[in-house]
Amino acid sequence: MAERILIVEDSTLVTDALAVLFEEAGYTVHSARTVADAVDLGRDRHFDLMLLDLTLPDGSGLDVLDALRRDKKLPRVTLAVTGHTDDDVRRDCLAAGCADVLVKPVPIRDLLRQIERLLA
Amino acid sequence: MTMAEGLDSVALRKRLAALEAQAEEAREIIDELKSRDALKTQFLSNISHDLRTPLAAIITHAEILREGMLGDLNPRQRQSVSGIVNGGQQLIDMIDEILTYVRSASDRVSLIRTAFSITEVVDQVKLLNEALSARKRLTIERLDGDDIPPVYADRDKLKHVLGNLIGNAIKFTPDGGRIWIKLARRGEDGDELLVEVGDTGPGIARDHYDLVFREFAQVDSSPSRPHHGTGLGLAIARKLVELHSGRIWVESELGKGSRFFFTVPLNPPRD
Repeated sequence: MAERILIVEDSTLVTDALAVLFEEAGYTVHSARTVADAVDLGRDRHFDLMLLDLTLPDGSGLDVLDALRRDKKLPRVTLAVTGHTDDDVRRDCLAAGCADVLVKPVPIRDLLRQIERLLA
Repeated sequence: MTMAEGLDSVALRKRLAALEAQAEEAREIIDELKSRDALKTQFLSNISHDLRTPLAAIITHAEILREGMLGDLNPRQRQSVSGIVNGGQQLIDMIDEILTYVRSASDRVSLIRTAFSITEVVDQVKLLNEALSARKRLTIERLDGDDIPPVYADRDKLKHVLGNLIGNAIKFTPDGGRIWIKLARRGEDGDELLVEVGDTGPGIARDHYDLVFREFAQVDSSPSRPHHGTGLGLAIARKLVELHSGRIWVESELGKGSRFFFTVPLNPPRD
């Protein structure tokens, strides 16, 4: 069965682009625009990978991780994505359990290679 | 008190009151300007972030096409789509430069100091710029520096300074030119690092030595100027060097080239 990716991102423009990418690469894609939606979806079903934007309309992306961890519903792997990263953001994300912190736009070849490696 | 003295003191009191009123007015204007400046900074930060998001989507879509994930492209189509990716990436770089400037200009910025090898950072920046310099057949070389002890500074910020200086040299040096990075110790106890980034570009007139480090300043700011950009690269470099209590300056000869210098202390600051 195809591995499942959850894109948590408030811009539908970015979500649409990533959905095309992941679907073409053979993954099943779901998306959420807010912390609340992402937590609902994450509780509802299992995801292999979550691509998590840090700035969401109703809170920080890391809130999603906290809520899902409490419910023991964490995806296998979480990758944080952000517009601008610095050492503090990086440290917080890694401490919260993200496998890596990526800066948008992530070059697609690198992104697919990294996901493949993380899910292997 | 004579009548003349009495008149003088009345006149003095009036003059004093007028001066105080003027000072108060000046303080109000300063406060107003400060709050407008803060608003402008916030606007720049927001707009940069908001411009980045749709651009990221455009670049990802174009990359998907370029990689042939939605079907094969013929060479002309691939060239055209590559143009979208490259143009988009250039815009992202400019927006990031504005964001970096806004951050470096704000009071919130702080240094994260660690001990690191400056020669390694120079070599990394050189490597990052290899494709760009190869396109213009420029040689970039690092001269000396192997005896420089570890620098205690903010690695990312010094990397940014070097990136901006080398990027600038690549941009302005004509095809086939030369760029070099020279590292040396200086100061009485050799406790200061001196970095020189030189090029065989068009050079800068002495009148413009200060102007080039000012934000949004370009020596040629006409719409038809041959080199475009935010005009922030050297202003950011200056801010980041000054955060380290260092100095940055340029020496140049028109028609021959420019040499940009900056210094940073090698050792931790004594508090």
